[in-house]
Amino acid sequence: MAKSITNIKRMEIPREKQHERDLQEVKEAVTENKEAILQGIKLLKSLNETGTLDTAYAFSQSKHKAMKYLVEEISKDHYAQMLENLPEIVFMLGDVDMKSVREATVRLNEGIQEMNSTDPEQKTSILDLAKALKDPEINRSVTLMMQFLKGMGRQ
Amino acid sequence: MLERDHTVVTINGREYLADPGQNLIDLINSAGENVPQICYNESLGPIQTCDTCVVQVNGNMQRACGTKVEAGMKVQTQLPQVQMAQKEALDRILENHELYCTVCDYNNGDCEIHNTMAEFGLEHQSRPFQEKPYNRDESGSFYRYDPDQCILCGRCVEVCQDVQVNETLTIDWERKQPRVIWDNDVPIDQSSCVNCGQCSTVCPCNAMMEKGMEGEAGFLTDQEPGMLKSMIELTKKVETGYGPLFAVSDSEAAMREERIKKTKTVCTYCGVGCSFDVWTKDRQILKVEPNAESPANGIATCVKGKFGWDYVNSEKRLTKPLIRRGETFEEVEWDEAISYVAKRLTEIKEKRGADDLGFISSSKATNEESYLMQKLSRQIIGTNNVDNCSRYCQSPATKGLFRTVGHGGDSGTIDDIAKANLVLTIGSNTDESHPVLASRIKRSQKLFGQKLFVFDLRKHEMARRADRFYQPKSGTDLVWISAISKYILDQGLEDKSFIEKWVNDFEAYRESLQPFTMEYASELTGIPKEELIEVAEEIVKADKVSICWAMGVTQHMRGSDTSTAISNLLLLTGNYRKEGCGAYPLRGHNNVQGCSDFGSMPNFFPGYEETTNDEVRERYEKAWNCTIPKEPGKDNHQMIEAIHAGNLSAMYVIGEDTGIVDANINYVTEAFEKLDLFIVQDLFLTKTAEYADIVLPAVPSLEKEGTFTNTERRIQRLYKALDPLPGAKPDWEILQLVARELGGDWDYDHPSEIMAEAASLAPLFAGVTYERLEGYNSLQWPVAEDGTDEPLLFQEGFPFEDGKAKFFPLEYELQYDTTEKYDLHVNNGRLLEHFHEGNMTYKVEGIARKTPNPFVEVSPELADERGIREGAEVKLISEAGEANGWVTVTERVRGKELFIPMSANGKSAVNLLTDNRVDKDTNTPAYKEIAVRMEVLKEEGKSPIPSNNHRKGNPVPQYSVNVENKWERDDYVFPGDQVNKDG
Repeated sequence: MAKSITNIKRMEIPREKQHERDLQEVKEAVTENKEAILQGIKLLKSLNETGTLDTAYAFSQSKHKAMKYLVEEISKDHYAQMLENLPEIVFMLGDVDMKSVREATVRLNEGIQEMNSTDPEQKTSILDLAKALKDPEINRSVTLMMQFLKGMGRQ
Repeated sequence: MLERDHTVVTINGREYLADPGQNLIDLINSAGENVPQICYNESLGPIQTCDTCVVQVNGNMQRACGTKVEAGMKVQTQLPQVQMAQKEALDRILENHELYCTVCDYNNGDCEIHNTMAEFGLEHQSRPFQEKPYNRDESGSFYRYDPDQCILCGRCVEVCQDVQVNETLTIDWERKQPRVIWDNDVPIDQSSCVNCGQCSTVCPCNAMMEKGMEGEAGFLTDQEPGMLKSMIELTKKVETGYGPLFAVSDSEAAMREERIKKTKTVCTYCGVGCSFDVWTKDRQILKVEPNAESPANGIATCVKGKFGWDYVNSEKRLTKPLIRRGETFEEVEWDEAISYVAKRLTEIKEKRGADDLGFISSSKATNEESYLMQKLSRQIIGTNNVDNCSRYCQSPATKGLFRTVGHGGDSGTIDDIAKANLVLTIGSNTDESHPVLASRIKRSQKLFGQKLFVFDLRKHEMARRADRFYQPKSGTDLVWISAISKYILDQGLEDKSFIEKWVNDFEAYRESLQPFTMEYASELTGIPKEELIEVAEEIVKADKVSICWAMGVTQHMRGSDTSTAISNLLLLTGNYRKEGCGAYPLRGHNNVQGCSDFGSMPNFFPGYEETTNDEVRERYEKAWNCTIPKEPGKDNHQMIEAIHAGNLSAMYVIGEDTGIVDANINYVTEAFEKLDLFIVQDLFLTKTAEYADIVLPAVPSLEKEGTFTNTERRIQRLYKALDPLPGAKPDWEILQLVARELGGDWDYDHPSEIMAEAASLAPLFAGVTYERLEGYNSLQWPVAEDGTDEPLLFQEGFPFEDGKAKFFPLEYELQYDTTEKYDLHVNNGRLLEHFHEGNMTYKVEGIARKTPNPFVEVSPELADERGIREGAEVKLISEAGEANGWVTVTERVRGKELFIPMSANGKSAVNLLTDNRVDKDTNTPAYKEIAVRMEVLKEEGKSPIPSNNHRKGNPVPQYSVNVENKWERDDYVFPGDQVNKDG
């Protein structure tokens, strides 16, 4: 004789047992994803060291508020020009000849390296300059720069 | 083919072959020419509102979508003035629609405005966006309308007027600023809108949008309204020109792909078998998106399929097995539950024999689960006592078809019903029980000249629309059907060559019709003789006749016979074996067809092979390594009787609220109380589960894989949209756990393996494989080993030995009537918005707020006679029991007939009134034969139907969107003319 009933006695899982189960679940997930997690730890470490983690945490805590301030601020008139420039900059990047820029950058870097290796207190006389023009490396630089000046002045 | 050869059309200098009368835009699209088109959608046909598909035809600018191809036509799509006209049309759209894609919930890669503008390469807008003087309408339960974003393309109106044919939406072109309006300009919530959701499906942008998407779909869309406005302004500043705007928003749309999962599933709310993608984010359901490829429904849905899924996340879901201990259920772990089930089943089988146990499958569960349930019953336990809930509704129709044509399913597809010249519906409230299929009929009738004759007690939506509507007296359909058959024969109007070639037993049938004279039929049914003759003549005259019927036929004591009479009539008039014809018993649940197909029946193995057939039985015994009893087992009804008689003491029920849906529930629940072991598998603690000894928590369709078979015999796959709620399991997994605990060597990793086994054993499904059912593919049984299926049955003949169908002679005797004491007839059936007993749909908040209560429909005449009004409270008393209800006075019923929705529960449950009468051939309860008397408890009160229910709305029928009214406006110039004028 089974009468209709509706009472349900919920299973009470002791806290320790639930704890143990959750832990087991996490353990399994960790084992299965060992590589990813180790990489993740590295990433967290570097974010933490640079202070980015703090900022990200604070931002995520008040995402809506922060977004509001940001949007309100950035909508002000004096940013209008900057905002309009943003896409312009993107377009400008499209016009630049990256291959040549890269070559120039390599040269620029070498120049800087060389520059850093010399004593900034050292003086250079006119005669030194004339002598230096005989150095094939300096001469090539000066020639390049003169070509550059010429190109830049072109109408 | 010849004609086609002549229809050569030149597009941009290249020649193309067109179909005669083909729409030019279709030809342009198939030729791969790129012409913008926003209002045009293949599923809807041309609407001609957006003007973006302007092309030059023989020198004149015109809309491609409004042009039919003609031989020799010369079309230009790329001339500068053509492009200028197209750009003008696109500019006009952007005056009406603000592009803030990145913060728009509709930015999911399928926004047609976005994509059209991007493809056209529109970089800048010539004229600014203009706000409109209207607020958003957020009043409805499920979708909202934003006039500001609306481009007035009219797709929503088209779909509402001519596809769904609910006729709620129009565009008011007369106003200064036109907009879409509901009924005669009322809020969405107060209108006749049935929430089929198709307007939000076809809307090309975010104007008409599902509320589930709002603030959920995008990464940045979850903002306060004011904030959203600032962000829109900001996006506009940053994204100067459309190129960058599209780049940013496309990236954001791509990111959404990662987060929003789109899974194909098959609806569980009726036998039509709509399929669609469900969009989910974790366990949250964002929206249901139908697909033009969906074989049964295309882009169509009803409110339940589109919006009725909240129950999946209901807090009332069971998540642990429950075992009855004393006066309470205790939650237990699965291990304990399964060993309890196995132990108790074994005990009872050993003590009282296998036939002391009974199994009931669910017509909501998958084919694979039906297969496993009968396998559990036959192989593991050793009894044929296995049945399913089609016993409550559909067995009589199946029986009638088996007797005459040999296959127990629809003879064709829904397309065939749509193609018929004449459709008869008998005892079917199609518009509420099979809404998407009903819309196909409504569309064919409204637009393509199909005739619709409705036979029903109630003047429901289909009856209101019918070309002819007849109200035969309850339970007398067999009589008028036989009488018109006799008339056709007497007049010599039968299809003689069809009968000669394809049908046996003609003479016996002719003989059996003798008593069914027109006079007799007229007297019994109450339909005048002249009208019946007219019906007979119309049937003969029509080239293609389809007959749809449902519970109004089957749930009677002569349900099987009446179904047989329908099939006889179709044979007599040659309405089988050709397109647009045939018999369509409209299956009520998603898998009523499949559950029986896959063997959960006491007399059949899967594929309707009889247990008494030695060859068949040996096949299964060999495959399953067991002995199976030869004699058929008990059906549902006999199981309940056997419990009362002391011959059945254990029952295992899957997904069926027998304690509400079976007839005479007092008698049924008393039986449950007598069981020694009652196992129930369900999502919720249903009324039936309350009597269980053990309840096993199952999962709904969205949380599992498998296949369903719809009313067209169409097998379709469903995929897992959500993971099972922790603690609950799919029925097939639970059945496997039980079988293994009982020593069965079942080892299925996936439902496809179960299907493979069923296909290898049942010839009807020989070629069914999951690969062939991938995505939106489907198969309509019988399926040959090479995968050939049969959308239209009987092409090669009827499945009897000589390939011929059979006339089946019938007789009739009136067995049910109201009496002096019980003077009112109670009818019952579905409501559009609630499914079955309502245990799923009442958990959908948006539905419950519009249709919160059950009710009793009373005719104005009867209300006057008894002195009651809207909201009265009455008690109905039948011989079996009594029920209370609140009255709504309506002309849907007449005279002394009442109607109660079957979603009524508690004290209003209609099955408190039904009794043990059954169809004499199948034991299907005669739910539709209840005589009651009525006691008035309160004469008047609050209407049980709230004012925001669609039944109280006022539809505004028209054809399409009346685009001519747009063209006639003073401020309208056709972009082609504008360009010519501007030079």
